[in-house]
Amino acid sequence: MNEPLRFPAGQRVLERIQGFLDRLREAGVSIGLAAGVDLGRALAAVPPLDREAFREACRVTLAKSPTDLETIDRVFDAYWSALGSPPVPPPSGESPLPRGSEQRSPGRTVPPRARPPRDELVRDTSEGRYSPRAPAVGHPLEPLPAVELRRLRAGARRFRRSVATLPGRHWKRSATGPIDLRRTARRGLRTGGEWVELTRRERAPRRADLVVLWDVSGSMREHTSRLFALVHALHRVIRRSRVFAFGHNIEEVSALFQGQPYLRALPEVDARLAGAGGGTQIAYCVGEFRRYWGAILRPTTTVVIVSDGWDLGDPMDLARELERLQREARRVVWVNPYAADRGFVPATAALKAALPFLDLLTSPGNFPQAEGARRAGLAPLAAA
Amino acid sequence: MSAATPSPLSSSVEAVMTALSGQKYVIERGLATAVFLAIRLEKPLLIEGEPGCGKTEIAKALATATNAELIRLQCYEGLDASASLYEWDYPRQLLEIRLHERDRTTAEVETEIYSERFLLKRPLLRALQGEGPARPVLLIDELDRADEEFEGLLLEVLSEFQVTVPEIGTIRATRIPLVILTSNRTRELGDAIKRRCLYAYIGYPTAEKEVEILRRRLPDLPEQFAREIARFVQRLRGQEDLAKRPGVAETLDWASALLALGEGTLRSIPVAETLGLLLKDARDLETYRKERLDVLLTAP
Repeated sequence: MNEPLRFPAGQRVLERIQGFLDRLREAGVSIGLAAGVDLGRALAAVPPLDREAFREACRVTLAKSPTDLETIDRVFDAYWSALGSPPVPPPSGESPLPRGSEQRSPGRTVPPRARPPRDELVRDTSEGRYSPRAPAVGHPLEPLPAVELRRLRAGARRFRRSVATLPGRHWKRSATGPIDLRRTARRGLRTGGEWVELTRRERAPRRADLVVLWDVSGSMREHTSRLFALVHALHRVIRRSRVFAFGHNIEEVSALFQGQPYLRALPEVDARLAGAGGGTQIAYCVGEFRRYWGAILRPTTTVVIVSDGWDLGDPMDLARELERLQREARRVVWVNPYAADRGFVPATAALKAALPFLDLLTSPGNFPQAEGARRAGLAPLAAA
Repeated sequence: MSAATPSPLSSSVEAVMTALSGQKYVIERGLATAVFLAIRLEKPLLIEGEPGCGKTEIAKALATATNAELIRLQCYEGLDASASLYEWDYPRQLLEIRLHERDRTTAEVETEIYSERFLLKRPLLRALQGEGPARPVLLIDELDRADEEFEGLLLEVLSEFQVTVPEIGTIRATRIPLVILTSNRTRELGDAIKRRCLYAYIGYPTAEKEVEILRRRLPDLPEQFAREIARFVQRLRGQEDLAKRPGVAETLDWASALLALGEGTLRSIPVAETLGLLLKDARDLETYRKERLDVLLTAP
């Protein structure tokens, strides 16, 4: 379809374009002044009344992500076909989170696809599987006391140091790095100013690369405030971190944490989790994570799964997914809110299946010390 | 900054399509528009997309089509100014100091050793000072692999096309290079860098486009065989449980291998033997080679 663009009599082109940009902003595309100027310059270079050329110019100058491209296409068709009519609402899709999240998130929402029939997956709770009488939806978040927050943040910083894999600002001696001129010159003083031996250096690992998969299903409801604080602390102290919320589907929620202080992020996340709840399909969600965001996993990445392990899915599927996750990432850490309880044993089917593929199983409270314990060669909680 | 010689590609989108087609690069109109606008508006073009789908290749094709120098900066963890922008040639500076420590004053020596003569130019600076008949093509490849700090370093280069060397001053581009940045989206790039760029996304090609790519790149490949290969790869990409999906680069490698083996149609045994060119994950390879290959081959 390459019909010419239509403009109502008496309405200026620039006003219509401005209206289009406003619609895009309403739909969640972040368009700055510079992008608007770029579009203006682009329209001078392509035939502006050629509908497809105009569309392409909009895509090239206004989009900054694949999600933006989809939004631009949708709003473009709605705006330029039905003059003045509101844009077509986004296509319905399943999400663990309420509608509208797609517009605020910089990442993608996984499109729904066929999942195993629920009836087949519901099992007797005596087997340690998901109960059909899942708690109500919603995750009311309460601010934690300052002392608790400080403790979690200190723990997150310690955790960052113990899982650091990326080079930081500081240097350390190395056998193969670039020449350390200062040390080489200083060492040269021992040999009358001649540089007999070169000293080399490399950046010391100080930064971590983190992915958090946060279970927001109904069974996690009573722990959500604490886990939110933990996830926020991790995201705050580890710059290269991305957060994904999952239940029966998975979605990136990093944007809600990005640059936000705890008290400002809290109501945002609270509003976002208002509709979250119900059962969990951990294997399905981990699989979807690998499928859509798998490229972000590197040999330097630590994956933290925050979940109680109550799962709707087949444990064998989970084992398979975690095995792959473990191969693709540096380490996989499972944070279970019950892990610090007296007499805790990883008895749920999902946790049993997951254990062989975890580097560490710990609780939110034990989180700060557990990694250190593992590094020191002490048995982590997984041995319990 | 001297005015750049108008690029033959700056006349129209069709000119871009024709020029890249001449380089055996199959390009859709959307991407051609992005390239055209990047040339015309003199703005960097950020191309994101699936690995192996032609992001890097387009920069090479553009450089060849415009007879321009291709300057490539491959990004990696820890990439910094000394590897991307410039570095002082310390050994030569020290030698210069030794040579002139008796016959020159300290100020003279200092002025001398901090001149462009002692500057080791890295890709970004080379692109700004590019010499040649056409605007150089600067390829900043896999930017998502570099640290966020490196993006900050790029801001001045990509918006002002200049570099500030504290000891010398600001070096401005003699001609604005055509800048192509690529990213596999392993991490979200910063807003600041995105704002300075035009944007395009390259996904997996349709079956028709993949056949066309195969036919262009491998002229010896019979059309029917190319269709079979493209259909098989499309089916493979559609599998939900693949750890790594094959890109176009893998399709081309696989088709070349089958041609080299003298195959003219997809048969079970040669496909199984060469499947490693398509699937780069051990478990994927094992699963599909042993269990699902026949299903994929016989599917309508």
